Amino acid sequence: MVSEEQLDAPRPRGQWALAWRRFKRDRVAVGCGVFLLVLVFAVGPGAPLYEKVVGHGPNDFFPYAVSVGMRPVGPLAVTWDTPVMAGDDPYAFKHPRPPKGTGKTLLLLGADSALGRDEFLRVLYGGRVSLEIAAGAAFVAILIGMALGAIAGYYGGWIDAIISRFTDLVMAFPLLLFLVMIGSLFSYGLTNWTFHGLINQGVFQLVLIIGAFTWFYPARIVRGQVMSLRNKEFVEAAQMVGARDSRIMRTHLLPHVLPPLLAYGTLLVATNIMIEVGVTFLGAGIKLPTASWGSLLAQTWGSILNPNPYNPATTQPWLTLVPSIAIFLTVFSLNQFGEGLREATDPRSVR
Amino acid sequence: MAGYVLRRVGVAIVLLWILSVVTFAVYLKVPADPAGFIVDIRHASPAQIAHAHHILGTDRPAIVQYEKYVVRLLHGDFGLSWATVSFFNGHVEGAAVGTIVWKAALVTGSLVLGGFVLLLLVAVPLGTFAATRPRSLFDRLSLGLSVAAISTHPLVVGLLLQLFVGNKWKLLPASGYCTVSSPSKAAIKNWRLFAPAGVQEPCGGVGEWAWHLVLPWLTFALFFVALYMRIVRTRMLEVLEEPWVRTARAKGASELRVIRAHALRNAIAPIVTMTAMDAGMAIGIAMYIETVFGLPGLGRTMIRALAGLQGYDLPVILAVTLVAAAAIILLNLVADIVLLAIDPTVSRRGRGMPFLGRAS
Repeated sequence: MVSEEQLDAPRPRGQWALAWRRFKRDRVAVGCGVFLLVLVFAVGPGAPLYEKVVGHGPNDFFPYAVSVGMRPVGPLAVTWDTPVMAGDDPYAFKHPRPPKGTGKTLLLLGADSALGRDEFLRVLYGGRVSLEIAAGAAFVAILIGMALGAIAGYYGGWIDAIISRFTDLVMAFPLLLFLVMIGSLFSYGLTNWTFHGLINQGVFQLVLIIGAFTWFYPARIVRGQVMSLRNKEFVEAAQMVGARDSRIMRTHLLPHVLPPLLAYGTLLVATNIMIEVGVTFLGAGIKLPTASWGSLLAQTWGSILNPNPYNPATTQPWLTLVPSIAIFLTVFSLNQFGEGLREATDPRSVR
Repeated sequence: MAGYVLRRVGVAIVLLWILSVVTFAVYLKVPADPAGFIVDIRHASPAQIAHAHHILGTDRPAIVQYEKYVVRLLHGDFGLSWATVSFFNGHVEGAAVGTIVWKAALVTGSLVLGGFVLLLLVAVPLGTFAATRPRSLFDRLSLGLSVAAISTHPLVVGLLLQLFVGNKWKLLPASGYCTVSSPSKAAIKNWRLFAPAGVQEPCGGVGEWAWHLVLPWLTFALFFVALYMRIVRTRMLEVLEEPWVRTARAKGASELRVIRAHALRNAIAPIVTMTAMDAGMAIGIAMYIETVFGLPGLGRTMIRALAGLQGYDLPVILAVTLVAAAAIILLNLVADIVLLAIDPTVSRRGRGMPFLGRAS
């Protein structure tokens, strides 16, 4: 039997339900979350789907999408669906017509370079690579940070001293210089780990090196939280009934640490996208022909050892604008989403 | 205070030592033969390759190589750049890494310093203006812009500025660097006679120097300006609430004078220390900017040493890493000391970490 009072009494809401209620009020963060969902769909199952629809892949060449003066076409271009140019006159004023029976195909955002690949498909697949690296590296960083931070905060004393010094040390490293150095020196071994074609070449290597150098913020957050919770009554109670340290950390402390870590993780993904773009641009990340947002951004500019000279007749400004906008929108939404998440999961924010 | 500084310097030296060991160890694992700098490996005889190793000093065990490197470093000698080593009649000649890195550091220094000056010139007045009119249209606009600026990659800003302002509209030089001092006649003559195609004519003079750095400075400032504006605004809002500001107003000082002489002076000190704390990130950002605009700074020197076709120029890589790290550590130390001098209540370790992802 349920009494009347019990029915009327409002059900206590859980931590996550409260957080969701707070999060819903932040319109910008919700919008950014929706955008991120769309983005993940587009670069995940969406890219192969689009590939099926238009009938060509991200690495296929379309010489007809490049003008005689070597200028790639702009957005919304329909081009001949053939990888070879008919005729062999290098001084022709216009492209010869392809053989009869050649179909046409759509390049939604035009061609990517003098090779005439589909820019839109490359942005999608490049986004997949960039997001894989960013999310993977954030995951690695949070795993390392969580373990080290929890151990340092829980045990304190000399263990904490050693781990904290180590954290300071990693923090003081000139991050980007080091990433570029390791990235370009070790483009040999780890690059080929693709887990049977699950991820692209070079992704795993970048995940590891970016993750290995960005774990210090999560470690500091976890350490601070665990330190302040270590002497609370519920931990003492758990110790009293004989729970092991690892169990206390897992089941009693982890739930407190997880919400801020989740919010921080989102921001870390945003930072990692920036790092991936930078490292790839500087020639130490994903290698061509695999697309990533960094290599797409470098497309018009060239590479370090031979930057393309600017030529008003052949330069297509779209090719700089498109990846720029993609990077900006993604990083912006991740930042806003993470900020909203942080405010929603912070029990001190009363809203 | 003195003990604190000494301890920090000690930590810094240990850090630099670890950094050099790590860089050295990383290098030993690289599957590239440095003999390629001197001889063509595919066609050289084993004796020639062995000789090349002897010239570079890489025939000795790694520990001896490292020891010799450290001893030389303590004498202020960074060694010779392997990429420039030539061997003639028993003489080994090459460009000294110390000179290379010093020149590069000047370029990076002028980029970062000028960028920070430009940044403060823009951020401080705008932040102050936003603070005097909280929740106005301007204030909200600046908030929105700062959120956008955090999310913009400096490479994106640099590439767009270079493409449109520099190349398409031809308003400013799109790339290249000019030294502050004018180039010698001999350098220009040398360029005319020997420079390969694509190398720009040596230029110099303060005007040219600044003119070529306008776009890099803009890129640099645009990345940081919004953040600094927010910080100036927050600090100013705090300071404007203080009783002595009210006192200044009560005694009849004009609003401009209150803000300039009373409020701003107190608000700006922590910002100066913050610039030093951002030095590490500034060097990273400078690396992007140098690459995009073709400035021969530290980052570009490093990348060129790493991207070398024959092999990897270890002395240059080591020197750049150490110099950059030393600069970061030094500036952070200065920031901490200044902070301590300004505000003794600040705890000695663990100034608050900014939450937003600000590492790049």
